[in-house]
Amino acid sequence: MSRDRRAPLPMIAGRNCEDSVPEYKNFEALKKFLNGSAQIYSRKRTGYCCQCQKALKQAVKRARHVGFLPFVG
Amino acid sequence: MEGEPGNLTLYEGMFLLDNAVVREDWKKAKAVVSDAVLKHGGAVQTSRRFDERRLAYTIRGKNRATYLLAYFEMGGDGLPALRRELELSERVLRYLILRVEQIPAPEIELAQAENAEGFVVPTPPQDDVIEPEAAAPVQETVEDMLAEGEFVEERPRGRRAEKAAEVAP
Repeated sequence: MSRDRRAPLPMIAGRNCEDSVPEYKNFEALKKFLNGSAQIYSRKRTGYCCQCQKALKQAVKRARHVGFLPFVG
Repeated sequence: MEGEPGNLTLYEGMFLLDNAVVREDWKKAKAVVSDAVLKHGGAVQTSRRFDERRLAYTIRGKNRATYLLAYFEMGGDGLPALRRELELSERVLRYLILRVEQIPAPEIELAQAENAEGFVVPTPPQDDVIEPEAAAPVQETVEDMLAEGEFVEERPRGRRAEKAAEVAP
């Protein structure tokens, strides 16, 4: 089966930002928004709106700075 | 983002403390941060031990650290000096200072619980201790998998099967 015909992966946060964005201190919740290489998933995958995705990015970067999350998985 | 000079602004600070200092005395370790804040014209509102954990990557040659979460008020002019002091301190491995609107209610309760009589801070483990969850999983050997029947021995097919049948008595 070609790549285009694969079923889309489920959104992590759900549509319309059902879940609030975790803080940097809640690093266990942030882990589910990272892939195996510790990269942040895209909006398509997380399901967050633009503002929430930016908040997620900021939280992950803060968690990385204080050593809760790795920069590279 | 830093506050205006003169006006007191509430900040949240996450400080990574060296476990060697924490092992000596927790109050002394807390005083490292609170003294630095006081020195630069601030006032600590609450501070508590957030966690002691293995770091995701090595910071200043340390694999583990104790996290101190503090809320303090300070004027914007004192913050650069505080940052400079924390950068130079060998007891603070890393810090993160954020401006916040108010102290969360659970934080006040947790800080009060820590300051209460009878609260004992657990001694941090050695730097090279690996937590059970971080330990590498036991790898299954091929013999184990064969014993469990996960592998099926490959049987010759086609011409190979015919040749094998000829050779065998």
